[in-house]
Amino acid sequence: MIPPFFFGSLACLCLAILSGRFPRLWLALVLSGAGCALISAAQVLGDAGNWAWEASFTLGCQTPQFLVDGISALFLVPVSVIGGLSAVYSREYWSDHHHPDSAPRGRSWSAALILGMILVLSLANGLHFLLAWEIFAISAYFLITLDNTAPETRKAGWLYLAASHAGTMILFAFFSAVAARTGSWALGPMRDQAALAPLFWLALCGFGVKAGLFPLHVWLPSAHANAPSHVSALMSAVAIKMGVYGIVRFSAWLPLPPGAGWVVLGLGAMSALLGIAFAMAQNDFKRLLAYCSVENIGIILTGLGLAILAMANGQAAWGRVALCGTLLHVWNHSLFKSLLFLGAGSVLHATGTRDMSRLGGLWRFLPWTASLFALGSAAVSGLPPLNGFVSEWMIYLGLIRAVAAKGPVSGAIVPSVIVLAAAGALALAAFAKAVAIIFLGAPRTRRTAPVQEYGWGMRAPMLVLAGLMLWVGLFPAMALGPAAIAATAWNPGWSGNVDIPVFHLGSLHLLLACGLLAAAYVVLRKVSRNGLRDSLTWDCGYAAPTTHMQYTSGSFAGIVTRWFAWILRPARLVRKVRGQFPEKALYLERTPETVLEYCIHPLGRGVGLLAEGAKKMQHGRLHLYILYVFAGVMALGAMAFWGGM
Amino acid sequence: MEALDILARLLVWLVLAPLLPGIINKVKAWVACRQGPPVLQLYFDLARLWRKGVVMSTLASPGFLIAPAVAWVAVVAAAMLMPLGRAGCIFSFDGDVLLLVYLLALARFSTAWGAMETGSAFEGMGAAREVSFAVLAEIGIITAILTLALESGSISLASMFTPPPGPGAALLAVGLFIILLAENCRVPFDDPNTHLELTMIHEVMVLDHSGPPFALILHGAAVKMMLFSALLVQAVLPLAHMPLGLSLAAMAGGIVLVVVAVGLVESLTARLAFRRVPLLLTIGFLFCLFPLLLTWMEGVL
Repeated sequence: MIPPFFFGSLACLCLAILSGRFPRLWLALVLSGAGCALISAAQVLGDAGNWAWEASFTLGCQTPQFLVDGISALFLVPVSVIGGLSAVYSREYWSDHHHPDSAPRGRSWSAALILGMILVLSLANGLHFLLAWEIFAISAYFLITLDNTAPETRKAGWLYLAASHAGTMILFAFFSAVAARTGSWALGPMRDQAALAPLFWLALCGFGVKAGLFPLHVWLPSAHANAPSHVSALMSAVAIKMGVYGIVRFSAWLPLPPGAGWVVLGLGAMSALLGIAFAMAQNDFKRLLAYCSVENIGIILTGLGLAILAMANGQAAWGRVALCGTLLHVWNHSLFKSLLFLGAGSVLHATGTRDMSRLGGLWRFLPWTASLFALGSAAVSGLPPLNGFVSEWMIYLGLIRAVAAKGPVSGAIVPSVIVLAAAGALALAAFAKAVAIIFLGAPRTRRTAPVQEYGWGMRAPMLVLAGLMLWVGLFPAMALGPAAIAATAWNPGWSGNVDIPVFHLGSLHLLLACGLLAAAYVVLRKVSRNGLRDSLTWDCGYAAPTTHMQYTSGSFAGIVTRWFAWILRPARLVRKVRGQFPEKALYLERTPETVLEYCIHPLGRGVGLLAEGAKKMQHGRLHLYILYVFAGVMALGAMAFWGGM
Repeated sequence: MEALDILARLLVWLVLAPLLPGIINKVKAWVACRQGPPVLQLYFDLARLWRKGVVMSTLASPGFLIAPAVAWVAVVAAAMLMPLGRAGCIFSFDGDVLLLVYLLALARFSTAWGAMETGSAFEGMGAAREVSFAVLAEIGIITAILTLALESGSISLASMFTPPPGPGAALLAVGLFIILLAENCRVPFDDPNTHLELTMIHEVMVLDHSGPPFALILHGAAVKMMLFSALLVQAVLPLAHMPLGLSLAAMAGGIVLVVVAVGLVESLTARLAFRRVPLLLTIGFLFCLFPLLLTWMEGVL
């Protein structure tokens, strides 16, 4: 029953690309396309098993091959769910009324993006995979630069395009090397060909750029912050997961070099810690969310690294737990991150600024957004009884079981557990900051335009996401099933029941949720009976508090940014209060994207200088050009003569 | 029978916990040669606060009232996971210890939320410090958990407290004691006696609370104190191998001993200079790390 749904979904999305000018038709097509993709994924994750299909025609001298197994299906679910919901959201957020020029374009490209991702997840031929990868990467570029009048957005788009193509170039090398060594572009399990093992490093780099792994994440913050919010949600929740998919997929198919597990584990732990440290230092709430994606990708890869280690050591007991947690975290992260980005979109839409230091006290005007954003923040901080805790708990469970097993690897896993614990506590700090600075307290600047909540078109997708988050959090046993199927697809040796006491966790979560609701009810009732009096905030007797005395995003993060100053390198501009009649004081702090500004930019300048030097060779003198040609031919001839080629 | 067990434990935690701050205050009074408030003072305070009305900042949302309730439920739920010596746990499963840690994180999140509601500079300061220093405290706790997991080969609270006697247990006790002081806002990290000093952490976060929500905050703090003392005692003494009566008595005695030690530290030392706080927390972390390394080396050699 899979083919009609799967190809139906492809057809709907192709038509949706063409129907960008007709919003209702487009929405119907995207929703049915996403729905069909979801149904086919659900069938694979249900009991239908893998689905493979080979065309009878060729495209680019290759027969198109489709393969949807547990891993692809697991990633197809967020693509279709978040794709559909962000389409609903975009109708009100990026409406034709406000953006007559870019809205139709945006619709076509977002359909192309979803189509590209579905193809990436289902194609099993290297050449076609690369084509789909390009469709996906390019349509993401056009979506990021939808608002192409802002220079900052154009710059972010270019950076994305450059980084994405650097990654694609590595992937070209990877796929052609695989094709050269296996003799075919067809992809599939290649565990038995040990010569392919070093190619895993190429895959890790190429897909790592897309996933936003720490040193390769340079494009991610600005692209996700400057894109329209429904696009940021789609990008951050699912597009970067394509990179994760690539790493998961090829760690399952390729023979792995020794040490692969350690490298993935180490990179993951580093991404988790540094990603969240950068997030903590941001003043722009969308950049904060973007850096938090770097952290979550780090958590996912930590789990994957542990699973690779476990497979290498033949330890199903902890490897499988960690892998299930990893794969479930893919779902969870896409749920809460898209909720947070959509909430950020509502705030941005209502206030027109991304700078947290200008916001505050918004709960009064945006009660829905405030409560949903708070729920998302609690989930991303890994707090029970929400979904983020379930998957982080499973990854921890794997890690600590590995330590407790006292095997040869246990001692070396200890640092990654400690790093993850620090990252978890920092995530809580970063999101306590985000939610409190945006929504609580008093407004930090006077606003001229009234702030108001947006309609159900934007609220409904967020409510659906919140409902899904609660579902995973309160009934984790139901969400574990698909993750376990995908884990078996990753390593067929790990089958049967998974030893995770997830049912106990789920029942305690339910109890906890009931307890929280009951306590909130009792307290509110008790307070209203005892009497409630409104008054000024008690600032220790200070009679004239102003809104400027509140903590801002920078001051809230101050302690942590000082700890991480060695990598954050915050740039400060300070004008102190001087004299008896002081002039205006000033304190500005900006956290640069360190890797970009201190590594990539100097490198780029170096390349520029080299090119500048090479320009001298291009002087327009014909006789010297002929000399170049002659020298070139001589050199080639010499190579052919002595090289024996 | 099981329902009765749950109820009895809940009563033990809820009723006995407010004794601990009373004992600390008595110890402090005794060292200072004062008479001090009665040991049961907190019970009187709680009863009084529960009957009082609430004053709420005009800036605050209803979340200001709900946040203390969330924090209280989280702390009590964490306490219910904790085994009581030989009596063991009611619910126990692999990895429940992580649930305990993250329940405390939930309490921290909602306390910080409540503090930020009022838009006060003091409370913002407290919230920022609380969530930042918690990073170091959490590292310490996770390291202690790793140590216990490595010693016992288990990650369930019911079976992970099997401390072998030796230097490891002593080191772990010191580390956990430092973390206990930090997490429960005692001297040298924080001074529960004053609100108004610029070096406060936890106490400034609750400046604006009053009435029943404030009662929940005070009671929750007492339960958390008892929770950490119980953790410390069981991480050091092999209570699970003693007979039931003896193990419960040893546990109660141990908790009182810990609390007396807290009172003595409070009387005999001054609060730490603010910028030294991370240093002391790091020392606490190292004290938890050394027994981990010791146990691991024993396993390897």
